[in-house]
Amino acid sequence: MSMDPDTPEPSGGPKIPKLPDLKIPKVTVTRKQALTAAGTAIFVVVVAVIGGAILLNYTADQQVAAFSSHVAASEADLFLVSGKITVHMRTPTNDLSVAECDAHMREFAAIARYGRDVTAYHRQIVAADTIPEAYTGAQSAYVRALDNLNRAFTFWSSAAGAYEMRDYAAANRNLADADEAWRAYAAAIGDYDRELRAAEEEGAEEAGESIPPPPA
Amino acid sequence: MEWKDVFPVIAGAVVILAVALVVKPALLGEPIGFGSRGLVPAGDPPAYVPPAPVPTATPFPDDGKVYTRNFRWTAIDGGVQTTQVTVPEALLRERRETLRISEYFAWGEYAFADADRPILEDLAREIAPPAANPDEGYFRLMNIVFFVQQIPYDKDDNTTSYVEGALPPHAIYKKGGVEYPKYPVEMLVDGRGDCEDAAILMGGLLDALGYDTVLLAYSDHMALGIRMNEFNPYYAKYTPRYFEHEGKHYYFIEGTIFDGYCVSPDSIAVQGKPNPIGDTQDSLPSVRSETPQIVPLRYIPEPGEYRIRPARLPGGGA
Repeated sequence: MSMDPDTPEPSGGPKIPKLPDLKIPKVTVTRKQALTAAGTAIFVVVVAVIGGAILLNYTADQQVAAFSSHVAASEADLFLVSGKITVHMRTPTNDLSVAECDAHMREFAAIARYGRDVTAYHRQIVAADTIPEAYTGAQSAYVRALDNLNRAFTFWSSAAGAYEMRDYAAANRNLADADEAWRAYAAAIGDYDRELRAAEEEGAEEAGESIPPPPA
Repeated sequence: MEWKDVFPVIAGAVVILAVALVVKPALLGEPIGFGSRGLVPAGDPPAYVPPAPVPTATPFPDDGKVYTRNFRWTAIDGGVQTTQVTVPEALLRERRETLRISEYFAWGEYAFADADRPILEDLAREIAPPAANPDEGYFRLMNIVFFVQQIPYDKDDNTTSYVEGALPPHAIYKKGGVEYPKYPVEMLVDGRGDCEDAAILMGGLLDALGYDTVLLAYSDHMALGIRMNEFNPYYAKYTPRYFEHEGKHYYFIEGTIFDGYCVSPDSIAVQGKPNPIGDTQDSLPSVRSETPQIVPLRYIPEPGEYRIRPARLPGGGA
């Protein structure tokens, strides 16, 4: 049995209506329905925009808070290092025997090691922080400060090693290099403070707040 | 609800998760997955580890062999004294085997060596016994000075300067000859020494009495500087010479001064003579013309910068 390709209907089966006979159902949209749909769409967009902005802001705040807590942890450990240094530097050395001088320098070496480890540890954490763009300058300056401090403590270690070898000229040279690294550290802390203030002022301007002047 | 209705929801959730956890981190260079750049697995913060104590050296046995030396010298009151010193042979042997450093800053280590200290304290007590009257302090000081000044002078190059009759293995050979800064016990056992040996011995003895001293290094000589606030005795027919170091006055003391008389006809060592504090009239021309390098006997390298500056915290922290 042959089939006409224009009228594909097997003989004897159900009758398939021809395409021109199909009717698209008519959708009647009332004005109220249209307004409701448009309103809903606008509402969804507004909620998405506001929600996104809040989420972004929240993320930025979280990042700054994390950065702040890492700097705080670093400062707390550096405070402990500073305490050790202060006690060591205040120890009178006028009446020490040779063995006591050597012990004094071994303690100096231990403080140098401690300082080097602390700065390396916190540098790794602070440098890994993801922070808002406004704070990248402050982060970079703080990392630079830790790097210089780490360098200074490394020179202290070398000076202590040279003292142990009785190479006093090398010990003096290392201490001179350490002094230079300490000065670079102080400069980096100054940069950090400046960058931090700029970032906070930028944030305050966006929020319409004011930042108090830095302490004299 | 049928499976075909749930599938698009699950597919959508998978796409969102893939974008959030893989695509976005990959585009922004962040770690892929749930990790955050702020959470670096760094372990515990480092702790201070104090230096390990160094075991104290074994003291030299009291019943071992000793060198006994007698010194005849004229005290500040004009009386001739004889002072006996004993030094363990093992200590001298150890000193001879100790490496010498040509740098002046290392020489204080010889003056204040721990093993030599008890011998110097005993000697200082014998030469300058403690007195109840504080006015005796000057006489005690001058007796120490006079004692050392009267030990015969002999050059480091001469084998006669050493009890073994040979140069020590760690003598430093320089262009102008031999340099061998002696530990105090070496000068006492040898019974002679040159300018830096006398300055080192005198510095060790005066330290035992509580005086602060420095080495005064000239181009061809070494003397001692003693810290005094003011020294201007009525009898002095000279202006006492002193040098300022870190705001303190150190008065010149000659350790070796002599008229050229040999100790004995068959010796090349010359007999030293007493000389007052601050007097440079009979000293070498370099002493009268040069400003010496001042070398502290206790040398501890100290950094100039060491203050950690507190950093302000982001977000208004202190």
